[in-house]
Amino acid sequence: MARRLHRRLRRPAAVLLVTALSTVALAGPAAAAVPSTTAWSGGWLRLAHFSPGTPPVDVYLYPFGGSKAALVLKHVSYGDASPYESVATGQYTVAMRLAGAAADVPPVISSTVEVQQGRAYTVAGLGPASALQLETLPDQLSAPNGQAGVRVIEASLNQPDVTVRISAEDQSSLRFPTSTPYRTVPAGDTAVHVSADGATTTRTVDLAGRSTHTLVLLSSAGTAPQLVDLTDSTGPATEPVGGIDAGLGGLSRSDSNLPTEAGWAAALLLGTAVAGYAARRLRRT
Amino acid sequence: MGRHARPSPPARLALRSLVVLGTAGAVAGAVGLGHVLDRGAAAGYTIAGSALGGSAPAATPQAATAVRPTSVSIPSIKVDSSLEDLGLSATGALQPPSDPRQAGWFGGGTVPGQTGPAIIVGHVDSLSGPAVFADLRLLHPGDTITITLSSGGTVRFQVTAVDRYPKSGFPTAAVYGPQPSPELRLITCGGTFKDDSYLDNIVVYARLAPS
Repeated sequence: MARRLHRRLRRPAAVLLVTALSTVALAGPAAAAVPSTTAWSGGWLRLAHFSPGTPPVDVYLYPFGGSKAALVLKHVSYGDASPYESVATGQYTVAMRLAGAAADVPPVISSTVEVQQGRAYTVAGLGPASALQLETLPDQLSAPNGQAGVRVIEASLNQPDVTVRISAEDQSSLRFPTSTPYRTVPAGDTAVHVSADGATTTRTVDLAGRSTHTLVLLSSAGTAPQLVDLTDSTGPATEPVGGIDAGLGGLSRSDSNLPTEAGWAAALLLGTAVAGYAARRLRRT
Repeated sequence: MGRHARPSPPARLALRSLVVLGTAGAVAGAVGLGHVLDRGAAAGYTIAGSALGGSAPAATPQAATAVRPTSVSIPSIKVDSSLEDLGLSATGALQPPSDPRQAGWFGGGTVPGQTGPAIIVGHVDSLSGPAVFADLRLLHPGDTITITLSSGGTVRFQVTAVDRYPKSGFPTAAVYGPQPSPELRLITCGGTFKDDSYLDNIVVYARLAPS
């Protein structure tokens, strides 16, 4: 092989060969093209029953205009809220039937909701049984660093007038069946005080940094209402900064998996061999 | 070899060129090899390193008894890796795993299966070849990712999207921000390799698989 190579050797060929060798070793890593897939588009829906006096219901979720339910929640009682369901963007109809009623009987109440990309909604039965309403509440999904977002739904008929104190600076009075907008409060374990008719109930709620919460006040047999914490969203309390360096370059030649070490080693060995061979041939002359 | 005839002048010129160029190639190879090994040392990566060689991250406010993910399995791209805990660097960036063969979980974030985005990071390559998340970009919506927890339970996720972003325009809110449901993010590098670093990040978005 070496002899044949020698016989055929011409200056241009030699230059070409070594250039090629060097190129193998020195080639700059090329970009690996990655096709970007279409991002999943969707939002979230949470279905709830916050209507005191309204009996348990079955909640149906239909794509708008459809007759086949995408989701059925059976026997949803006063105070129940479903987890968030991921749904595609678009219009939906939410219908409530008395628990156990056939799927084809006319619903007690129904409502439409438009789900937008990346947004979440709570569709809740609210108000007294005599004036049941199915309302869509847009949910807030993040709060600034070191803070949490909180709103309160007053759904207690037994305690229709309440005062809610989340922090010294955050106190609000509200009346059944209304709710507050989201407020931003300092993050951390927080004692929430709810007062009604001179009685106060206190519950400690973990308001993690950046998380959002819906506090629901429910009718109770006592003087003060019951307080339920629904976590709307949560995540890392401290958001990492920017992207991540998670590659060292060994694959950066797009068309080859030849390891970098091997490339350099090949250049070293081939270069040594070629130089050695040529030097030996020259010495003999 | 002794029977060789004396080379003609053009051949001698070619041989002299070969000596020079061959030596140049050898020197380049040696320098390149040295540089690669240097980078290995700088990156704290040792080929013989233990799979659990990473130091414990400072920013992990997890109790020793808290549930944490112990491994990630992605059958469609033949990934099956134990998980080290990842923290934040001094600049606040997420630290990559110490071993390219092993993925890591951001311990300051969400436990997989709980509400929020659980973050798992793996290298796309080591200094010498493919690393644990080399084929991450080949995932498709619908592919399954299974996380095993220290409690012994498993959580299954389904890929919803695979995207690539320049690091200079990384969508931190979409990737790390609070979420209303249990989600998973797998992150690695991609794009052009320049100045010892990839310019892009590949992010796989996944949500809890329907049970």
